[in-house]
Amino acid sequence: MPESNNQRITSVGIDIGTTTTQLVISQLTIENTASGSLVPHVEITDKEVIHRSQIYFTPLVDRDLVNAVAVSKILESEYIAAGLTPEMIDTGAVIITGETAKKENAKAIIDALAGFAGDFVVATAGANLEAIFAGKGSGAALYSAERHQVVVNIDVGGGTSNYATFHEGKAVDSSCLNIGGHLIEFERHGDRITYISEPAQTALETTGQRLQVGERVTLPQLRPVVKAMAECIVEVLKTSVHSNLTHKLLMTPPLQLAHPIRKVMISGGVADYVYAEKEPERMAEVTVFGDFGPLLGWELKVSLDSAGFVLEKPNETVRATVIGTGTQSVNLSGSTIHLQETTLPLRNIMVVSPFTAVIPETPEMIAEVIKSEMIQLQVAQTEGVVAIAMKGPRTMSFLDINSFAQGLLLGMQDYIVNAKPLILVMEADCGKVLGQCINASATHPLEVICIDQIEVDNCDYIDIGKPLMGGRVVPVVLKTLVFNR
Amino acid sequence: MAVANNDLEKVIIQSVMEELAKKGLLSQKGKDHMMSAAMMDMPFVPNPQSEEMVTFPPQEEMQIDNPFNADAVRAMKKLTPARIGIGRAGTRPKTMSLLRFLADHAVAQDAVFLDVSDEFLQRMNLMAVQSSAGSKDEFLQRPELGRRLSEEAARKIAEKCEKNVQVQILIVDGLSSSAIEANIPDLLPALMQGLKSSGIKVGAPFFIKNGRVWVQDHVASIVNCDVVISLIGERPGLGTAESLSAYMIYRPDENTVEADRTVISNIHKGGIPPAEAGAHLTDVIKQILSAKASGVKLNQQK
Ligand code: B12
Repeated sequence: MPESNNQRITSVGIDIGTTTTQLVISQLTIENTASGSLVPHVEITDKEVIHRSQIYFTPLVDRDLVNAVAVSKILESEYIAAGLTPEMIDTGAVIITGETAKKENAKAIIDALAGFAGDFVVATAGANLEAIFAGKGSGAALYSAERHQVVVNIDVGGGTSNYATFHEGKAVDSSCLNIGGHLIEFERHGDRITYISEPAQTALETTGQRLQVGERVTLPQLRPVVKAMAECIVEVLKTSVHSNLTHKLLMTPPLQLAHPIRKVMISGGVADYVYAEKEPERMAEVTVFGDFGPLLGWELKVSLDSAGFVLEKPNETVRATVIGTGTQSVNLSGSTIHLQETTLPLRNIMVVSPFTAVIPETPEMIAEVIKSEMIQLQVAQTEGVVAIAMKGPRTMSFLDINSFAQGLLLGMQDYIVNAKPLILVMEADCGKVLGQCINASATHPLEVICIDQIEVDNCDYIDIGKPLMGGRVVPVVLKTLVFNR
Repeated sequence: MAVANNDLEKVIIQSVMEELAKKGLLSQKGKDHMMSAAMMDMPFVPNPQSEEMVTFPPQEEMQIDNPFNADAVRAMKKLTPARIGIGRAGTRPKTMSLLRFLADHAVAQDAVFLDVSDEFLQRMNLMAVQSSAGSKDEFLQRPELGRRLSEEAARKIAEKCEKNVQVQILIVDGLSSSAIEANIPDLLPALMQGLKSSGIKVGAPFFIKNGRVWVQDHVASIVNCDVVISLIGERPGLGTAESLSAYMIYRPDENTVEADRTVISNIHKGGIPPAEAGAHLTDVIKQILSAKASGVKLNQQK
């Protein structure tokens, strides 16, 4: 059978946010980049965005409810515009973010999109993940890897500001603050307030200002509360001792600030106004989109400058999250995988990391550790499939790898009898030999998926897609929910 | 060490010793010993009783004073074992870099000139035979001798080895005995396990001293196997002296050319980990067996 050396997959990213909904369709080229004399190493070598949708206002039934059917209509028409059918989509992710995620819309949207988003699409929500996708889409991740400098990407959207700190290309910290440019709504190009959201109300109260729905405001009247919001955004970068307002508006634990921060990148709808040439001078300029985004952007720039942060320009602003979602969410496993049968795709596999310290030496001791973790998580009783994650075996010697295989089989006895696939995810480069050892030690044929060279440090759930490249690799989506453990 | 026959040399030696002592890399005793040797205007004879060792700081340690972007240097150092980010003393390498260079060179030389130990061969339960190169010098000066078995070896193999197997594994010192001792203990059991559980018939692996790649053709002509695989020490470099290659060929004959071989190189702890290589080689051998071809011919079938 001919083994092709590269393959193209089509990936869709859909971002349903508080204010806007958009999608991008990208073509990823995956290739074996190792020379013939080495073990094949498959990676994504090219990402090309082949279709960018219009930016839609997120369709709402009322203020709290997303119109899921209307969202699916958007997809339908965008697919047509791109000349694609759902069957042509290989992978990707839907991300429901910001306020919309809070509004318990996820289920309805996921159901409405099930038929549209292709065979292998992940539905996910969560501020931390969104922040990371935004930072990958904006180019912050790449910037940190290329310049070897720590950079924080803040995706400032309609309802939230999502922080992700990148170090050498990797997200190392994240947080989410309930501040965005759409928290107070106005008549478009006008000066009359039509809506004040709860977090905006909190900001008004804390800063001792009074604005009301129906009221007309001037720029000097509006500025103080927006300035206060901008300062909250900057405060999270500076210190972990927060003002009352910042404290109230933090939706996740704050940034841990383990790395000193100097460089900052802003993406999201508000970003264009952070990098604008001049400040908005009249209310009509502030409220072009019926909110105060332009003013928030300008005030944020002022606050960042005066706090001494260096602003870097992103590659993408308003589309950062959706581009990150579509092109960055897929990892490819190390190519030395040991796959059997056609159990894939598998979704929402719980990641279990039993080994916090060093991996013990004997199979019995290894089994002990695994068993106690499995009991604690009550895995055997549940229907769910789990993946055992680890850095690697005790050492890379054949002896230790073989002992680990035996210990694993012993420790997972109760799990395997239920004919569940044995899934292993690890950082070390020994997936193939470990898979081989497991099969050699097993008393009856097993389904084993042994994925190596993937870092699962902060990962909670993974999805594993259908094998690509003639069965040599699988796409893996890592879903990180929190950094602060 | 050279004779310190002028004052300048003495000054240089003295300051190098002091520098080493200052960094805690050389004891006072060791320093005194070398200094007195230098001052005596006589050739320096290392004291064989002395346990004096120089320990190098870890390779990844930052050697640049006041780097502009330390993260960048660290990231680049991580990508390569090459000697980068080592700083400098004026226009010359720092003492530590120079010593490390000399030490690595010595390790590379040892890898070529030392033999695989008998203890190792016993432990791995490997029969040993020799190529027609009688000594290391001959082996290095006359490559063609390393490509043929000695008469005695040919006889021994004809007598002891199982014939008509699917796979014959050879362990060949080639240009690095260190590569053999470092990798075979993890590679061989993984490879044997992989081949056996795939139901492939394997002859007992054995060792060939002073051998080169082509010696596998000679072996194949005697044991009449389908695939012969040589696990052979690569020419050592200054990055590692422990790198091993696997050269495989399907049914070699008098028309065989180099392009008929398949090679998987860079097997060592910093490259393809040896146990993992064993599992990977199992797959490659399976491909060769089913294609009945190796080297370029195999690639053309893919
Ligand atoms: C020395 C060397 C050579 C020398 C060999 C000189 C000699 N007669 O001894 C020369 C310069 C001729 C050479 C040429 C080539 N080499 Co070369 N070579 C090496 C090197 C640096 C060390 C090999 C070694 O230690 N061998 C062990 C000793 C004991 O073996 P030997 O019996 O003394 O020598 C034989 C082998 O070295 C063999 N050999 C050397 N290179 C290659 C390449 C292939 C594909 C094959 C099948 C055999 C082979 O030929 C020698 C004569 O039989 C390796 C690097 C490495 N990490 O291994 C690359 C390496 C093996 N070479 C490589 C390549 C690609 C080639 C060439 C195809 C380059 C080209 N495009 O023309 C040619 C083809 C060689 C041929 N004979 O057909 C690749 C192989 C990658 C792969 N699997 O496809 C390697 C791994 C370097 C790399 N990382 O890219 N090579």
